[in-house]
Amino acid sequence: MLNQKLCLKSLFLLGIISLLVALSGCGDYQSNVESGNLKGTLHWGNGTEPQSLDPHIATGVPEHHIISSLMEGLIHKDGETLEPRPGVAESWDISDDGRVYTFYLRKNARWSNGDPHNAHDYVWSWWRALQPALGNLYAYMYFPIHNAKAYYEGELKDFDQVGVKALDDYTLQVTLTNPIPYFLQLLDHYSTYPVHRATVEKFGSADQRGTRWTYEGNIVGNGAFQLKEWKINRRITVERNPYYWNADNVGLNQVVFYPTENVTTEERMFRAGQLHYSGIPSDKIEAYKQAGDPSLRIQPYLGIYFYRLNVEQPHLKDKRVRRALGMTINRDQLVSQITKGGQIPAYAITPPGTMGYYPESDLTFDPKAAKQLLADAGYPNGEGFPTTEILYNTSEGHRKIAVALQQMWKKYLNIDVTLLNQEWKVYLDTVSNHHYEIARAGWIGDYVDPNNFLDMFLCNGGNNRTNWCNPEYDQLILQQAPTAKTQQQRLEVFKQAEKLLLEEMPVIPIYVYTSNNLVHPSVKNFGRNILNQSNYRDIYLEPTSSSEVTP
Amino acid sequence: MQHPSQASEQRSSLWLDAWIKLRKNRMALFGFVVLLILCAVSLLTPWIAPYSYEQQDLMLGATPPSSAHWLGTDIFGRDMLTRIMYGGRVSLMVGFIATAVALVIGILWGSIAGFIGGRVDAVMMRIVDIMYALPFMIFIVLLMVVFGRNILLLFVAIGAVEWLTMARIVRSQVMALRKQEFVEAAYSMGLSRWAIIRRHIIPNTLGPVVVYTTLTIPSVMLLEAFLSFLGLGIQPPQSSWGLLINYGVETMEEYPWLLIFPGITLSLTLFALNFLGDGLRDALDPRASKD
Repeated sequence: MLNQKLCLKSLFLLGIISLLVALSGCGDYQSNVESGNLKGTLHWGNGTEPQSLDPHIATGVPEHHIISSLMEGLIHKDGETLEPRPGVAESWDISDDGRVYTFYLRKNARWSNGDPHNAHDYVWSWWRALQPALGNLYAYMYFPIHNAKAYYEGELKDFDQVGVKALDDYTLQVTLTNPIPYFLQLLDHYSTYPVHRATVEKFGSADQRGTRWTYEGNIVGNGAFQLKEWKINRRITVERNPYYWNADNVGLNQVVFYPTENVTTEERMFRAGQLHYSGIPSDKIEAYKQAGDPSLRIQPYLGIYFYRLNVEQPHLKDKRVRRALGMTINRDQLVSQITKGGQIPAYAITPPGTMGYYPESDLTFDPKAAKQLLADAGYPNGEGFPTTEILYNTSEGHRKIAVALQQMWKKYLNIDVTLLNQEWKVYLDTVSNHHYEIARAGWIGDYVDPNNFLDMFLCNGGNNRTNWCNPEYDQLILQQAPTAKTQQQRLEVFKQAEKLLLEEMPVIPIYVYTSNNLVHPSVKNFGRNILNQSNYRDIYLEPTSSSEVTP
Repeated sequence: MQHPSQASEQRSSLWLDAWIKLRKNRMALFGFVVLLILCAVSLLTPWIAPYSYEQQDLMLGATPPSSAHWLGTDIFGRDMLTRIMYGGRVSLMVGFIATAVALVIGILWGSIAGFIGGRVDAVMMRIVDIMYALPFMIFIVLLMVVFGRNILLLFVAIGAVEWLTMARIVRSQVMALRKQEFVEAAYSMGLSRWAIIRRHIIPNTLGPVVVYTTLTIPSVMLLEAFLSFLGLGIQPPQSSWGLLINYGVETMEEYPWLLIFPGITLSLTLFALNFLGDGLRDALDPRASKD
């Protein structure tokens, strides 16, 4: 075994070396990483082609990476501590009752085309984000703001009554319905980023989806970088924005995002010196660990891997069926044998320990009880249960999990499951339109608070996507939690809500993410945080003495 | 004037000649035997497979070849030998059925166009040209989207895009044949056009057709792997050789046996088919047979 491995490894090395020799023979060959380190270009494996670069439309992590380089919110979170730091807002005041926030904007903030950037941009952008026709799936992020929900739902026609006001050009006042502890964190989320009015209106009306304003040559942002080129399915390049208020302290000249859906390919690109940052296939983690490779980074990640169940499907309407599906997943085996990255089996939708919150869950791995539940629902021993389809976005990691679950459900419940994979954008469309039965999903915290995981499943939450609706749940999340007197009481309300969610099980929690990535040692000031948010404005590159890549 | 029965006598002697020649060609014979064995194993797989192809043993995981699992197990702890055997059923079935579909459509289309000629020929061949111009992937994807995902449909869909070259080959053969005397003789005896196509034209085009068929089978098998990888072909837990190889590539450094064994099997099949195809081409070449 050992010999075989060694032999293969040396063969592989030989292959790489001969490749390098061949390439260097063609001239002065420099890998992306080497040339990037000299030119200040960061090469970033971004996983997939973004759905959109419009901050009021995008919902995914790959989009987040690109948008956060192009735009900036009122504040930004510190790369290490996630503490709020001044962004476009130089400073801010919070009223004693915690309901009124006053932001003092920088006078030197500019858009990437040189236009002045002021408080009115925020009022207009937030008005746009709340237009129902835009179909902003993150509209509920604004609901803490006074009257924002009523306006979004059409009960209120006058936007002036929503709690957002420009007191003067550089002062923005935001009034909340209830004092909530995480409000500042929301302002570093792309759904609250400002957009450039003149550009948006040039290419269509404000509430029109998919206009060309985000395309290469059109998009105007206020972030540390601006869009240089967008080659579909090849790369997206952003370059330094000279009008950025803090341009002097930006360490990179360019960031290149590569859409590589296959993580195995991405890891090979990393090894060949094509990328500074990439994902890692689960089967390779062990080898990197053994080699003691400094590029491997495994860290806690505030995210949950789960399956959505479309509760409108006739056979998934019964909550006993949904519970049975949730109870027959052997999560311990799944994380130890398939995902292998130190993930934690999840029995609730909120990752435990989020701001001191530990969910109570009665969900366990119990095939016997599950079988009984399925029988009670009218499918004894799985008889008569229609063949059900699992939808996932194309990726071998998701496929492996789906294949394992397919077999677990066959084994413990005797039901037949088929798999269907779709490319990221198509998958997002399919799930948003509820054209699925069971769909793989992942949710990464936008801010650190249980609310971020639980308010996904509000009746009209854009990211709910399961058709599940429970007024009692909505009442807990929207009325009781925000008005709780103490943090302790607030967490108790969340526990109650989560218990309700798990009893009805429109979603099956599977595991708590860890973020497993490869980061080249030359990348400096790359913050470590549980949201795995990267502040491109802070990163700089420092060529290392040895460019040796292992293993 | 030739008598029709004389023509059929000639045909059978051509086949006999071909068989004698083929038997002398060792490589071709080797290919033939290998294919026979593979087909036999595939047919008998449900009875002789050592394990279940879908039963997982996650705690076992990927293990190298051992006495219990001759070709090792995959990351789900499933026996590779079993999976290769079941994969062969799908791959060989795709190969044969899709090629058969291509054969039937191609031969009929080509012989009708070539035999009738004139305006009909022009229209039919322009249709073929248009189909050629269509990116075949998009065509298959459309077929799968409209009719749903179903293995048999996949076979038909692949066959439906592979018949074009066949139609052209057959057409050119038929055009050369229809001017020949035995066809005129058949006309003068009062046979209908359809009967002439069926009885005289098609059998005489078989040489090139057989050769082209053996070359189509491997390309169809590779096409299936590609489609399955895109999520349009067969889906887990079922597998095919192409898919096994695709998955094997992902972990070839950690678990090389997941790539090597399906790779060897597929290569062996493709070699066998190519050898057989080569042999048949030599054996069925009418000019060579006159030596």
